[in-house]
Amino acid sequence: MTDRRLRGAVLLLSLVGAGVAAYLTVAHFGHVRIACATGGCETVQTSRYAEVAGVPVAAIGLAAYLVLAWSGVARGELARGIGFAAAVTGFAVSMVLLYVQAGILHAFCQWCLASDAILVLLLPATLLRVWRGAPPGAGSSRPARRPRARARARRGARPQPRH
Amino acid sequence: MRARKADTLDMGRRTLVFGSVGVAVVVAGVLAAVFAFGSSGGTQASSTVTGADRVATLLDGIPQQGTALGDPSAPVTLVEFADPQCPYCGVWERDALPDIVDGYVRTGKVRVVFDGLAFVGPDSLTALRTALAAAQQNRFWNVLELLYENQGTENTGWVTDSLLRDIGAAVPGLDTDRMLADRSSAAVDGLITQANTTARNAGVTATPSFAVGRTGGQLQLVRVNSLTASAITPALDAALKQ
Repeated sequence: MTDRRLRGAVLLLSLVGAGVAAYLTVAHFGHVRIACATGGCETVQTSRYAEVAGVPVAAIGLAAYLVLAWSGVARGELARGIGFAAAVTGFAVSMVLLYVQAGILHAFCQWCLASDAILVLLLPATLLRVWRGAPPGAGSSRPARRPRARARARRGARPQPRH
Repeated sequence: MRARKADTLDMGRRTLVFGSVGVAVVVAGVLAAVFAFGSSGGTQASSTVTGADRVATLLDGIPQQGTALGDPSAPVTLVEFADPQCPYCGVWERDALPDIVDGYVRTGKVRVVFDGLAFVGPDSLTALRTALAAAQQNRFWNVLELLYENQGTENTGWVTDSLLRDIGAAVPGLDTDRMLADRSSAAVDGLITQANTTARNAGVTATPSFAVGRTGGQLQLVRVNSLTASAITPALDAALKQ
């Protein structure tokens, strides 16, 4: 899979994840009843585990997904590194939250499970981007110079004004 | 030279990958620790109940008759169908009801009647029977609100006698022993049957559900799209104008 396709996959998955997290964040602050097929969404969303230091977990997830989406758009080593760091951290946190649902609350939230699935897919995609490094011909986050400009730079010549 | 540069790059990537995994493990560990050692938030039975001051302030000076809160001659009645274990009912009671009480009940415009349902599980029935037993002493709303304040995770056995005794002790003027004894009384059985019948006839399919109308008249089921006071106040205002 090319880096372009990987970036597209990261962007798409992150936007879907951001949508899920945004829905849960809005429902949290608006006290809106969320759609639920698994039956345990309200138990999970109104439990004390739905917030960390007063901040909804869904809002933290939304921020993480937006960072991931940015990493799917941006090029360069930094974007790839931050994308992987966000994905692996999100995955680790989602495992803790999955344990809370299964082991403590004995209730599952379908939206949380969807987010878990997205992170499971984002993890290898972002890892692959980091491991492969920059694709051929895209050495840095700056736009590549055009051949003539590159030749001029090699010669050390200044561009001549056109008449 | 080029090979050394590639090695350096690989080393950098490895550091990045393993560093990120390390950070992720630390973050997840901190989160697990916060969950394990953080405040219980009132989700487990404890020797002291939370919210006693808030509930006392909320209900102070408002008349109670059985499961009804407010002036019996208030022009409008709001019936709430709810389960003491239902988390959304808890959100409603804690976040929306105070605004309804301050804006409509305390001013004598509306009285609120609670029709308790117990469909979530055994803890629902224990909690509901206890609150209905307190209704025999006109302290129903004090006990109900404290149950919601200290609501635990569904069907985990959180409605213990210890919690109920603590709640009883936090309600001024309530005879806790009598409340616990009255839980299996015929009066409580009758209130449960009556609430179930009313809910069935009204077409209630979820909790919390609400019905609004003129006191003594026909009540209409009101669909709410959020668990905030503003979701129900238009129906109350409309009924007041009738």
